[in-house]
Amino acid sequence: MTTTQAAETDGVDAAHDVVEFLIGQHMQIRDLFTEVEKSTGKARRDAFERLVRLLAVHETAEEQLIHPLVRTGVHGGGDIVDDRLSEEREAKEMLVKLEDVGPDSNQFPLLLAKLRASVLTHAHNEEAYEFRYLRREVAASELQPLVSMVRAAEAMAPTHPHPGVESATANTVVGPVVSLFDRTKDMVRASMSTNR
Amino acid sequence: MTFNPLEQRGIPLDKQLRSWRELDVEPVDPDHSDPYTKCRIITMNGIEIEALLFSHNFARICPDMEVKHKLAEIRYLEQQQQKVVNWLLPGSSSPLETTISYEQVAVDLTAWVARMEPDPYLTQCYEFGVLEDFDHLYRYANLYEMLQHRKAEKIVDQLTEVIPGRPTRYHHRNPIDNVRKPYDRSAAAPISKLHALTILSAEQQTMNFYLNVGPQYMEPIARQLYQEIAMVEEEHVTHYESLLDPGETWWERLVNHEYNECYLYYSFMEQESDRKVKAIWELHLNMELEHLHAACDLMRQHDGRDPAEVLAPELPNVLTFEPNKAYLRELLDTQIDLTTLGTGFVSEAHERFQKMQDAVMGGEDPASDRVIDEHNSVFGTDYRIETEGPHPRPELRQGATSKA
Repeated sequence: MTTTQAAETDGVDAAHDVVEFLIGQHMQIRDLFTEVEKSTGKARRDAFERLVRLLAVHETAEEQLIHPLVRTGVHGGGDIVDDRLSEEREAKEMLVKLEDVGPDSNQFPLLLAKLRASVLTHAHNEEAYEFRYLRREVAASELQPLVSMVRAAEAMAPTHPHPGVESATANTVVGPVVSLFDRTKDMVRASMSTNR
Repeated sequence: MTFNPLEQRGIPLDKQLRSWRELDVEPVDPDHSDPYTKCRIITMNGIEIEALLFSHNFARICPDMEVKHKLAEIRYLEQQQQKVVNWLLPGSSSPLETTISYEQVAVDLTAWVARMEPDPYLTQCYEFGVLEDFDHLYRYANLYEMLQHRKAEKIVDQLTEVIPGRPTRYHHRNPIDNVRKPYDRSAAAPISKLHALTILSAEQQTMNFYLNVGPQYMEPIARQLYQEIAMVEEEHVTHYESLLDPGETWWERLVNHEYNECYLYYSFMEQESDRKVKAIWELHLNMELEHLHAACDLMRQHDGRDPAEVLAPELPNVLTFEPNKAYLRELLDTQIDLTTLGTGFVSEAHERFQKMQDAVMGGEDPASDRVIDEHNSVFGTDYRIETEGPHPRPELRQGATSKA
C-alpha cells in the first residue's frame, strides 16, 4: 500500500490564512480522537497528551485572536462568541474530568466519547457560524498575519512531545489541564505582543 | 435466495405513518462508521428521492382521483422514509466530505452493477460512466486536502482507490451524444431494469446535490469544480435515463420502482454492519412490501396485466458494496480513451466532440485540471490512494503530467 501524501507537509503547514489553519487543526483534533480511542497503554497516553496540548493551543488561539475579531467585525458577533465560549467551557470541564480519571481508567472511554461529541460539535459550529462570516467581513490582510502568531504560540507549547523530555520538562507544560490552558494563554499573548 | 417480494406481506399502509419523534434518528458517526454504511445511506436516499419525484410526475398526468389519492398516501410515507434515511448522515460532515462519499457510491455501485449486468450494451454504458465518476473522486479528494487539510483516505478508507480516471475535461460532450439506446422492455432481463433504475437514481441525486451545495462554498476553485462536475452529472442522468424503455407504461414503471426499493432494502439489510442502520433497512423493507402490493393492484386494475409478467420470479442476487479495484484497473487500462458518438462508443475525438470541447473550455483550463495544478503547487504533488501499485496507464502516473 502506498498512500501518496503531500510529502513533507502535515496539511496545516500549507495554510495561507488563519481560518484555513484552524480548520486544518480541527481535522487533526478529529483524527487524534480516533487515535486515542483506538490505542491502549502507553500509545494511548501519548496520543491523549498530544490531543490535550493541541486542544489547549487551538482553543487559546481562538479565544485570544479570533473571538475579538468576530466580536467587533461580524454582525451579532458578541452573541456568536458567547455561544462558542460556553461550548468551550463545557469541553474544558469534561477535559478536566477526563484527566482526573486518566487514560487507563474504565471510565475513560465513555468520558472521551462525550468530550469528542462536544468538541466536534463546537468545531462544526465555529466553521459554520464564526469562520464563514469572519472571512466575509474581515479583510484577508487582517487574517493572514494571524497564522504566524498561532504558529509561534504552538512552537512554545509543543503539541508533539519531544523525545527524551517526557519527564520533568514535559510535565511542567502538560500538568493539570487548567494550568496548561493558562500557560498557553500567556504564550499566545506574548506572541501577540512580539508579532504585532 | 428464496425471498419473493410478491409473496411476502409487510406493514399495512395505515400503520406506516411515523411521528416526528420516530423520524428524529440518530446520525451515524462521521469518523467511525463503515464507509460503505454511508454509501448505502446515500444510495437509498437517491432511490427514495427518485421514487417520490416519479410519483409526483405520475400524479400530474393522472386524471383519476382515486389513483391520485393512493399515490399521495404512499408518497407521504416515502417522504418520511427519505427523511429518516438522509438524516442518518451526520451534520458535522462538511458537504465536501459527503461529496467524496457520493463519488465512492458512484464508483463502487456502478462498478458492481457493470460486473453483474447480463446485457453487453448496458454493461458498456456502465463501464463508460464509472471511469468518469472515478475521476471525479480524484478531483474532489485533491480539493478536500486543499480546503480542509485532511486526506480523503479518512473518508473512503482503502476500499476505493483514488487515482485519475478518464480526465474530467473530456467528459464534456455534445448533449446529443449523451443519449443512449434504450433496452427493450419485453426482452430485457428484470435485473437489467433494476440496474438501470438504481444507477439513474444515484446519478440524479448526485446531480441535485452538487447543484445545490456547490454555491455554498466561498473558495473560487471549489465553486468552479462543483459547477463543472455538476454539468457532467447532467450528462450522466441523460446517459442513464435514456437506457429505460420509454414504452413502459406508468403502471409498469410504478411497479418497477417499488420492486427496486424492496430489492435494495433487502440487499442492504443483508450486509449492513451498523445495527441501528440495519434495523432501518429492515423496517423500510417491510413498508416497501406493501407499497409494492399497492402498486401491483393498480397495475392489475388499470393496465390489465399481471405484474408477475414484468418482474423477476424471485429477488435477484443481493446488490453489494465491495471493493472493485481490479475491475476498475482493467477498465482504466482499456477504456479510458473512449467517448460517445450517437448511441455508440468510439475512441476518436470526433468533430462534434471537439467543437463542444472548444466551446465550453473557451481556451482555458477547466477547474478539474486547475484543482490538481493548485494542489501540486501547494503540496508539491497530487493526492492519490494507490493501494494496488502505480496507475495502469503510464501517462497518468504521478508526476507524468500536471494534466492528469
